[in-house]
Amino acid sequence: MVDLLLALFQRPNFLTFVIIFLWGFYIMLTRYNLVKKLVGMYLVQTSVIFFLVSISAKQGATVPVLLTTTDPVQAVDYVNPLPHVLTLTAIVVGVATLGVALALCAAIYRKYGTLDEEEILKKLQ
Amino acid sequence: MNYHLPAILFLLPLFAAIAMPVVCLKHREWSRPISLAVLSAMVVVSVLNLNGVIQYGEVRYAFSGWAPPLGIEWVADGLASVVLVALSVLGLLALVFAGPTAPRDLGGRVVHFYVLILLLIAALTGIAFAGDLFNLFVFLEVAAIASYGLVGVAGGKALFAAFRYLLLGTLGASLYLLGVSYFYAASGTLNMADMAEQLPHLLTSKAVVGGLLFMFIGLGIKMALVPFHVWLPDAYTHAPESISPILAALVTKVALLGWIRIIYWVLGAQVIIYDIPVLLLVGVLGTLAAVIGAVLALMARNIKTMFAYGGISHIGIILIGVTQGNKTGFAGGVFYLLNDAVMQGALFFLAGALVFQYGVRTVQDLAQIGKQVPWLTGALIVIALGMVGLPPTGGFFGKWYIILGALEAHNYVAVAAVLLSTLLTLAYFVKLFEAIFRQRPPRSDVLQSELPLSCKLSLGVTTASIVLLGLFSDPIVQWILNQALPPTL
Repeated sequence: MVDLLLALFQRPNFLTFVIIFLWGFYIMLTRYNLVKKLVGMYLVQTSVIFFLVSISAKQGATVPVLLTTTDPVQAVDYVNPLPHVLTLTAIVVGVATLGVALALCAAIYRKYGTLDEEEILKKLQ
Repeated sequence: MNYHLPAILFLLPLFAAIAMPVVCLKHREWSRPISLAVLSAMVVVSVLNLNGVIQYGEVRYAFSGWAPPLGIEWVADGLASVVLVALSVLGLLALVFAGPTAPRDLGGRVVHFYVLILLLIAALTGIAFAGDLFNLFVFLEVAAIASYGLVGVAGGKALFAAFRYLLLGTLGASLYLLGVSYFYAASGTLNMADMAEQLPHLLTSKAVVGGLLFMFIGLGIKMALVPFHVWLPDAYTHAPESISPILAALVTKVALLGWIRIIYWVLGAQVIIYDIPVLLLVGVLGTLAAVIGAVLALMARNIKTMFAYGGISHIGIILIGVTQGNKTGFAGGVFYLLNDAVMQGALFFLAGALVFQYGVRTVQDLAQIGKQVPWLTGALIVIALGMVGLPPTGGFFGKWYIILGALEAHNYVAVAAVLLSTLLTLAYFVKLFEAIFRQRPPRSDVLQSELPLSCKLSLGVTTASIVLLGLFSDPIVQWILNQALPPTL
């Protein structure tokens, strides 16, 4: 048990990721307001992106811009740039999804006059 | 030239989708002919591509010349190419059908309607060809965003169904991305072929086990595997009549193809993690899906909901086939996947025609129409033969090879599940036929309205294909056995 806790606190990025992910998931499940659900959804997406960035970090490494052009490149000196690039794409995907979701919310509000899930379900019956 | 065909196949609908809002700014009636032309070109190119793959072997396309482990790679092997042919043909038929049945109050938005359809087809092409796990994620999301928009386009109840689809779909995509980042953290690569070489040493790593689980749940939501299927029936029932065929025939099937790629091409067929064979685990879920989906279909009253649940149960049957871990089962599963795409297309063309032309939504409504529309009834009979799986339709031979594969693996539970699902499928089609033939039709205004020619064309071609796939099942299955098997089987 102590080992497990120690292992957990030595990886603060994992801990942060798990907390944000579960928080977002909890909001998605428990809130009835559609926009609040979207906030939860965005937290879930952001937590995954955060995790992806955090695994690129290395101790004692710097941003992936070449320090010299003459010496051979040492991979140890730079953080891994690939997860950042993946993250950019994932952020774009997330923003597009959120845009579509907000447009749907606006259309639902115009149609039903409310954003409360229970009231909408009642009107659907 | 052959080398570039996969990229051309993807760029055709993508460029058309980007160019269309500009080209059709003044003439919105051009959007339909342009889309039809693009899809017809795709059919030709995909057949050429398949021909090239048969003659010269698989194509590994490296984008902008960056070599595979670092660059983005697309793999046009036998499996992807044959699925692409089905995708283009069904896409074209769905577009032919979508013309007259498109929601009437679209107005100027009709251009965007076609843009979304083309984007969806481009993204599905990308999923089928992707040789890179992150690429698969991006295309899954492009396809998903296009489908959210298309489901919601009709307004009304569809809006809420689309919103739920969006919430669950995004959760699935996030889980898939999480799984990919676990795999990346463990192996340091995203390319499927490269990862397949790294993974055998890493199978005891918790990152791989967790990543596999997250990926599987994510893709399970996308392919509507029981118990992650809750978004599908509402979304397909309330989606516009012109859109549900394209969604039902293609979207879940292509997500399933992505899963087949990961399990066979990345993990390897016989992989065992912590004493649990992965194939067996997926096979059990497929078994559950095959039976539960069919039971839910039997309970449904709305015709489109019934067909949507039927699709869920068929996803389970395909999974049973591909997870038996032998060649017969895999070939049967892939053949059934092609068949199911055609059958789901045909079913939703039929349901769409019923709603659009006669306002028939539920089984009771169908009783009022009765047998006054003989050729719709005829099409339903052929589709029912295919769905239940009676010779000479393709559905029979697909199930036949799946059962042979399950017997070869001594997996008698799976055999029983396929048979039970077949019986239940028969039961819900009997429900439809009882409504058609038993009761007196009180409505007489039916005969005056005649279906548009394009609806008849789409429905006729898919219905004929069900029989044709059955008649030519032997060469097709032989070809799958020779050319489309994964290297690890």
